Parts: sequence; C-alpha cells; structure tokens
Amino acid sequence: MKHDKQNTVAPLTRGFVKILGDEKRQSISIPLFAILLSLIAGALVILLFGKNPITAFLSFLQGSGILPKSAYAAKKSILTDLLSMINALTPMIFAALAVAVALKTGLFNIGVSGQMLVAGFMATVLVGYSGLPAYLAMPLVVIVGIVFGGAVGAFMGWLKHRFNINEVVASIMLNYIFQYIISFFINTYYINPVSRQSQPVSAAARLTLVDTAAFGLKMDIPLGFILTIPTALLVLFLLNRTRMGYELKVVGLNKRAAKYAGINVGRSVVSSMAISGALAGLAGVTLYLGYYNSIAPRVLTSVGFDSIAVCLLGNAHPIGILFSSLLITIISKGSNYMSSMMNIPQEIAEVITGLILLFSACGAFIKYRVALAREELSALKLKTELAISGKGGKKA
Amino acid sequence: MNTIIIDGLAFALPLFIIAIGGIYSERSGVTNLALEGFLGFGAFFGAAAVMAMTGGNLAGLELPMFFIALTLSAIGGALFAMLHALLCVNFKANQVISGVVINILAAALTAFFTSQINTILLGKPTNKFVLGVCQKFTVPGISKIPVLGAFFTDVYIYEPIIIVVALFMTYLLYRSRFGLRLRACGDNPHAVDAAGADVSKIRFTAVMISGALSGLGGICFAYSISASFSPSIYAGYGFLAIAALIFGNWKIGPTLGACLLFGFARSGGYKLAQTLGLASTFSDIIMILPYVLTLFLLMFFSSTNRAPRALGEIYDKGKR
Repeated sequence: MKHDKQNTVAPLTRGFVKILGDEKRQSISIPLFAILLSLIAGALVILLFGKNPITAFLSFLQGSGILPKSAYAAKKSILTDLLSMINALTPMIFAALAVAVALKTGLFNIGVSGQMLVAGFMATVLVGYSGLPAYLAMPLVVIVGIVFGGAVGAFMGWLKHRFNINEVVASIMLNYIFQYIISFFINTYYINPVSRQSQPVSAAARLTLVDTAAFGLKMDIPLGFILTIPTALLVLFLLNRTRMGYELKVVGLNKRAAKYAGINVGRSVVSSMAISGALAGLAGVTLYLGYYNSIAPRVLTSVGFDSIAVCLLGNAHPIGILFSSLLITIISKGSNYMSSMMNIPQEIAEVITGLILLFSACGAFIKYRVALAREELSALKLKTELAISGKGGKKA
Repeated sequence: MNTIIIDGLAFALPLFIIAIGGIYSERSGVTNLALEGFLGFGAFFGAAAVMAMTGGNLAGLELPMFFIALTLSAIGGALFAMLHALLCVNFKANQVISGVVINILAAALTAFFTSQINTILLGKPTNKFVLGVCQKFTVPGISKIPVLGAFFTDVYIYEPIIIVVALFMTYLLYRSRFGLRLRACGDNPHAVDAAGADVSKIRFTAVMISGALSGLGGICFAYSISASFSPSIYAGYGFLAIAALIFGNWKIGPTLGACLLFGFARSGGYKLAQTLGLASTFSDIIMILPYVLTLFLLMFFSSTNRAPRALGEIYDKGKR
C-alpha cells in the first residue's frame, strides 16, 4: 500500500475529501465539483479569445434572464427573458425525466426525439387545427401528447419484451420511420408554403401564451412549465414510494433476480417504456405546441438527445434533473446574448455545454479517487492511534 | 437495377466500415454510442487538413488530396476516440453517457472550428468545407456482365479501399492473438487478466481502432453524399451503423449483410420513387423502407441475439 512509504496525506487531498463529504453528500457535491471543473475549462477557452471569462459567464445569466442586462428593447425586461428561458426549459425537463424513468429499468430510451415528434404531430393535427376554445384545447393537447407518446414508448418496450429487439435499435429505426412518415403528411397536407413548415397551430391550442401584454411588457408565458415540478415529484414518488416503481428499479438492477422474486419483467419493461414515452410526449407537446407552434418536416429535434446527457448530469434523479436542465438551458439560451456582447462565436456555448457533460461523466472516477483517499486517510489515522496507544507497537 | 446496386454499395460500404469500428469497441466490452461523433470528427480532421494544405483551391489535386484526407480522417478519428477510451477505460465513466457526450462535443467542436478555419482561409465564417466528389472507375470487361457487372461499374475509389481494410480487420479480429484477447475482454475480462494481458490497454486500443474506422467511413460519406464537410454529416449514420452491428449480432459477416440491406433498400427506394414518377413528397414514404424492413427482420432474428457478456461493464480487477 501507498501509506507504507509516506506517512502524511497531502493537506490538499485531505481538504478535498472533507469538502466532497461522504457517499450521501457526494451525490450532490460531485456533480457540482464536475460543473466547477468544466466552468474553469470553459473560462480557459474564453481566455484564449482574450476575453474576460467572468463577464462572459455573467452575460450567459443576463441573456437567460437571471441577471439584468444593461439595456432592454421596448416592452422587454428581465422578466421576458426569464420566461423565454423557461419556455425552452420546459420540454428539456420532461425529456430528461423520460430518459430517467427508462434508465431506472435498465433501458436506454434513445427514441425520445421520435416520441416527441409523434406526440407533437398528433396533438397538432387532432387539436391544434380544430379551433376548440383554449379551456378545452390545452388539456386535450396535453392528454393527446401523453397518450401517443406513451403508446410509442409501450410499443418499443413490447418489441423489446416480445422479440428481444434491442431497444436502442428499435428506437433508432422508429425515429427514422416517424420522421419520414410525419414529414410526408406535413408536406402533403399541412405545409405552409412560406415557412416550409407545418401550418401554425391555433393560439388557443398553444401551451405558451405568446406576446401577452402584461405589466407594460410583451411576454411569452409558458403554461407547460406549471406541470414540470409536479411531474418531477410524481416520478420521484412513483420510483421511491410505489410497488411498481420498486419493481421497475429491481428489473433495472438485476433482471434475473427480479424474475426469481416473482416480478413480471415483461410488464415492467413495457410499463417503464410507456411512462418514459408519456413523459417524452409531454416534452413533445411543450416543444411543438409551446416553444414552437409548427413542425419542420424531416427534422428530429436535438432535445431528445441532449436530454440523455442532461438526465445523467442530474444523476437520473428527478430533482437533480430540474437543476441540470436549468443549467444547460441557461447556457444555450444565454449564448446568443453572450456571443453578441463578448464578440465570441456562439458555438463556444455548445463547447462549454459539452465540457460540462464531459466532466460530469467523470463523476464516478472522482468518487473512486475520493474513496481511495478516504481509505488512505482512515488507515493513517488508525496507525497514529496505534502508535499512541501501543507506544512500542510494531512500526509500519 | 444497376443504379440500385451502384448507389447501394456506395452507401453500404462506408456504413459497414463504421459498423466494424463499432464491433471492435463493443466486442472489447466498451459500449460505443459515440460512432456518430467519431465519424464526424474524423471527417472534419481530414477535410480540414485538405483545406489547410490547398487553401480551398482543389483544382488538379483532387486525387492526392483524397488519399491524404482518407489517412488523416482515420488518424483524426482515432485521436478523438482516445477521449472516449480515456473516459470509459481510465476514468471509469458510464459508457453510455460518455458516448452521448462525445457526440455532442464532436458536433460543437467541428462546427466551431470549421467556421474559425473558414474565417482564416476564406475570410468568411461558413460552416462548410467543399471537397467535391471522389473519383469513380469502371472495371473494363467485367462491368459488361448483366447485373453482376453493376458491382464493377462507377465504383468510388474508396470502395475497394474499404473492402481491403475490412478484410484485414476481419482477419485481425478472428484470426490473431490480439483479436482473440479483444473478444475475450468483452466476454470475460478477468480471464484475460489472468492470462497475463492488460485489459485496459486492449480496450483502449479497440476504441481507438473504432475511431479510426469511423473516421474513414465519415470522410467517405463526405466525399460521396454531400461532396463537402458540413454539420449535415451528423445525419445519424453512426446510429445506423450501431443498428447494423446489433442486427448483425456483433459479428462482422452478418453486419455486412445488414449494411447491404440498408444500402440497397435505400437506393431501391429512391429508384422506385423515380420510376413510379411520384411527387417528391412521396419519397418520404419510400425512405422508410430500410427501417421498416430492418424492424420486421429483427422480429424474426432477434431472439438469438446476444450482446458481449461484459459489454458496458467497467473492468474492476478486484471484482469477481
């Protein structure tokens, strides 16, 4: 062992271990530490451009409405910026929750984007063009999204269970299939010749109230956001407090053990994918009938893919996801303002996002090193105790 | 018929070499969702090198530059893959996360550097390196044979290169000591360790090979489909390759079948839309052919599908 040679652990390591804390605290402290590392790395990149990283980071916050900008256009303020950031945040939270539920059952739902598209498209066609009044249309949009997203998810789970088709392959195939079929229908029936996208949905069906005049401002009010926190809590409750959630997690940890314990593995797989798909459906309607009001043919949104990383940054924990989604959305929404203020290319924001996710992927490694250092420390402590009590005790 | 074969092969072979890359990585026990990022970054590296050497003026230099791009793409892919290897093998990161992150990072970095390089070289921040289309050749004589001859007509230069590389990689995986150990790493890494080989080193190499092959496939797509390097290279070919290799049960032979199926179904679909004289919107319906076919076939062939036993597991010496 190492401590045979050296009798002291560097004070830096000691402090480091102390700050990161025990296992329980590490679930929060390690992602935070990873984010800190990545911000330092991001700061270095910004320094390479000869700009001040602190002002750059502040301008991310200003651009996404967390801090006030120095000047605003007419009818705009920090509130409008904040709401527009939340508008983008809403689908991200739902999508990341969708990934999390599947992940807990050991399934990798890479088809979130496809499920979002189906849910968004069906809601657009069934409700968005119907001309129903808002009090009917909005709840219907949400229900249609949940139902169709959930159906697609359940179908993927069924393919996995019934035919042993790897869910990653099934998701990839279905992503393409939905993308092309929906593109066909949009191009044939619902195309807007000017925007080359589907016809915009009626304002009554849109989950974001656009250009609402209030407090002398014009703002977008994302109603879908109201659902995010209750949904996250519901997912948390489902996973930690219900029998079904327990079964899902057991299947995720060890399929064989679950089977021996009498859990219906097939049902768990299908229901997990159905719940995941339903959450993806919510993400779909809040994106296509909220953040946007139309669908571009042949485009699969990147939200579904980014959400995988966001989910993992949040430790696949519903509450963690709320914060990780917030962080990633602040960076992507603030990048525009940062770019124009600092005269730095906007792509740098994506690089910083990538770095954050990269360092957070190393969380397990940090944990491992901390555990090692901890062992070393306790061994050292034991040795000193022995030396004090035994005095003539055997020298290590 | 001929165009179906010609176009199908031109698409299937780059996909195949990327899938072989995936097989190398996954058979060694490292889940690789990063193929998309590898192929994009590899292609970027090759294309950027060509741009840097010629300053954007390719006239007369197409062929030598193509070979330079091919080589450098493989090198660039391998270098970038080191990141995935470092995270998965050395830093014990979750391999799925690492893969997704690498895809995001590859897209961000290449978009960023492409516009930066173009600003320097051409004075405008476009996101595209124009490369042109790779040269084609027709084998005289054999190409006259009906149907079979189509395999020798209008062949992109990269196709025979890919076949040679693929043959070599097949030999390496199934007939060499390195290949045996690599496959053992994916099924029982402890046995490899007990036999005195270094699991981490083998996995690291496997991921780098995966990157090199993906880079090679990526630049071939850049030289055929889009005739340029641009963010449109991230069109999901890497994920398609993953689908092909899982469909092929992590074996090189069946994976070739899966890739050919994708290629021919794709070109066949285009041809069908053309001959039927359908409106361009209907091509979308036909485009789903390869994917529906795959899904359908998977229903019959998936029951015996088995992933490498230690796939996705972080190797821990102390664990039994």
